[in-house]
Amino acid sequence: MTTTEGRRSKRTEILEARPVNLDGFVEEWPEKGLVAMESDFDPTPSVRVEDGRIVELDGRARADFDFMDTFIADHALDVETAEEVNAIPSIEIARMLVDPRATRDEVIAVGRGLTPAKILDVVKLMNVVEIMMAMQKMRARRTPANQAHSTSAKDNPIQVAADAAEGALRGFAELETTLGVVRYAPLVAIALQVGGQVGRGGVLTQCALEEATELELGMRGITAYAETISVYGTESVFVDGDDTPWSKTFLAGAYASRGIKMRFTSGTGSEVQMGNAEGRSMLYLEIRCILMAKGAGVQGLQNGSISCIGVPGAVPGGIRAVAAENLIASWMDLECASGNDQSFSHSSMRRVSRALPQLLPGTDFVCSGYSGVPNADNMFAGSNFDVEDYDDWNTIQRDLQVDGGLRHVREPEILQVREKAARALQAVFAELDLPPITDAEVEAAVYAHGSGDYPDRDVLEDLKGAQAVMDRGVTGLDLVKALERTGFHDVAENLLTVLRQRVSGDLLQTSAILTDDFVPLSAINDANDYGGPGSGYRLEGERWEQLKKLRHVTSAENPETEVS
Amino acid sequence: MTAPAAERSLTLKEVGQAQRGSRPDEVVIAVSPAFADPFTKTIVEVPHAEVIRQILAGIEEQGVHARMIKVWDTADLAAVAHIGARLSGSGISVGLLSRGTTMIHQRDLPRLSNLELFPQSPLLDAEVFRLIGSNAAQYAKGESPAPVPTRNDQMARPRWQAKAALLHLKEYECIVAGRRPVEVEPVISRLS
Repeated sequence: MTTTEGRRSKRTEILEARPVNLDGFVEEWPEKGLVAMESDFDPTPSVRVEDGRIVELDGRARADFDFMDTFIADHALDVETAEEVNAIPSIEIARMLVDPRATRDEVIAVGRGLTPAKILDVVKLMNVVEIMMAMQKMRARRTPANQAHSTSAKDNPIQVAADAAEGALRGFAELETTLGVVRYAPLVAIALQVGGQVGRGGVLTQCALEEATELELGMRGITAYAETISVYGTESVFVDGDDTPWSKTFLAGAYASRGIKMRFTSGTGSEVQMGNAEGRSMLYLEIRCILMAKGAGVQGLQNGSISCIGVPGAVPGGIRAVAAENLIASWMDLECASGNDQSFSHSSMRRVSRALPQLLPGTDFVCSGYSGVPNADNMFAGSNFDVEDYDDWNTIQRDLQVDGGLRHVREPEILQVREKAARALQAVFAELDLPPITDAEVEAAVYAHGSGDYPDRDVLEDLKGAQAVMDRGVTGLDLVKALERTGFHDVAENLLTVLRQRVSGDLLQTSAILTDDFVPLSAINDANDYGGPGSGYRLEGERWEQLKKLRHVTSAENPETEVS
Repeated sequence: MTAPAAERSLTLKEVGQAQRGSRPDEVVIAVSPAFADPFTKTIVEVPHAEVIRQILAGIEEQGVHARMIKVWDTADLAAVAHIGARLSGSGISVGLLSRGTTMIHQRDLPRLSNLELFPQSPLLDAEVFRLIGSNAAQYAKGESPAPVPTRNDQMARPRWQAKAALLHLKEYECIVAGRRPVEVEPVISRLS
């Protein structure tokens, strides 16, 4: 047979046009750290202790430590057990992670003394199914949960309030916002808080901002937790951001001092993205971040590459490395908000496959930002899933009988909370003398999909109002009072109860969320007790009944009708 | 977004160590180490000559003076832009990375804050660069312009992020540690 040069087959044309071919893929470049987790340039595990002090870590003597080594050696590693546990063959530790008969506590006890290179050596032995097996056991909170992004391409507070209410009603335990124009932050953070408490009392909210403003909003009680405290795996990237492990730890202490929940953020690919991977693999550097978070004493970590997902996603084995980093965070006994929060692929098949290692075993937050708005409105630059995927997500939960934290909600209930959220925000704005919200905007909020469905706001007036919120020292309690005075007693009560948590400090426990009854659910009172088949969290009972519901299900009793 | 038909080249002629400006009506354009040399275009192939031409036009049509510096010892956008803002007579700067990522900064803001940030380099075309120049000039005049509409393409990340990382690695290789910012004169010439 002969072939004609330059002529393409029909099949090639079809394959060329498939969405997956819009994704970017690059070759590995291990010398620069552009490699997921298998690199000849990563150090060999080693540890040596003298006089109760680590004097050698992964082939480096203390005199040659950079500040990450110093911080990890002095604050993260258990000096008592370090030499002993690092001498255990990696294959034995990998087997413990997978074997349901080795308890979570036993595996954590071994993990406490391991060096970054040893941890890498262990997970390199595990394939993606084994990583999932281990995650099922190592997740800190027994009950999995999910987190949403609620943002607006126009920074429209009414949109944020309405979508926050819907998101909370659908089941998200945490809601996060950020801005296109950062000066809008106070108004949007207020909208998120008010809308969230309308949707479901007890939902926790945060606003991702420059660190000083984020802390101030938290201290004022306008937000309930913080997450965007980024840490990095190399000294050079830290220094580039004018930070050190100690400065981040100090910031963590500032949140803790006010009883505010917080977690750090890190992820594979950030160092190479910023050009300072120092020739280490993405996962090796991420392990240093995880240990840094552990050493700082924070309760949790958002990881899973996060905003750099396009980097591990572009190299071979990258998504396996991302699954491994989530596992290691959980293994180090940290809350893990496990990524799936950034646009990842043009291919829907790839989007789902990227999420399976978190969705199937369950994590503390399967997505650390499922887009609770259309991706075009997502000011975190898009998520792996958005509102248009709600029904698909609910169906996947039902198919596989796994709990991804969401549920189908009937439209009348959704419309009702959207309207109430917009009305409550309208009242709060009026009460606080902020730029008015019209009835037309409220009506738009009830039925809208994205920011284009709302009347335009007077942006300059809003920005003045936002500045006034900061200048006048408005706090969460002012929001409670405004809600109470304007007849939103239940919402005021919800918000006040959330604010009270910072007095008890219960949200400082690992993996804490609040139930509908405002009971903190954390690794203390809801510890993951997975020990093999029949144990641990099982999707059953009332929750399973909820998740059996979809938009269209044919009635068994009367097949001519649907139930929903 | 397509590159304009008329191809131009950009040369940055070094004038001397960058000084703090005294004119209250100036905007400083601060660029990263690899800008114009060795890189010549943004991640989506907008020529650097066109980027600077549009920003300058945007500034000048507001009747504001523009001055340009090259930052040598960092390729961190917030740092590049803040260095520019601190040297600017008005306190306003436009900071640029070679791949196109842009920020409007002000001297009195924390370094990691900004007046306007355009983080998605693949979405920045000639028109946006002109608006950025215009807004920076309006801030310099003490006005409060409506922010340049933020574009958002959630699929830029999967398409471009890894390439951006590669470009950044190459830009980092151009950093000259310890070298002070240099005042440069942009020379834009048409390619024959």
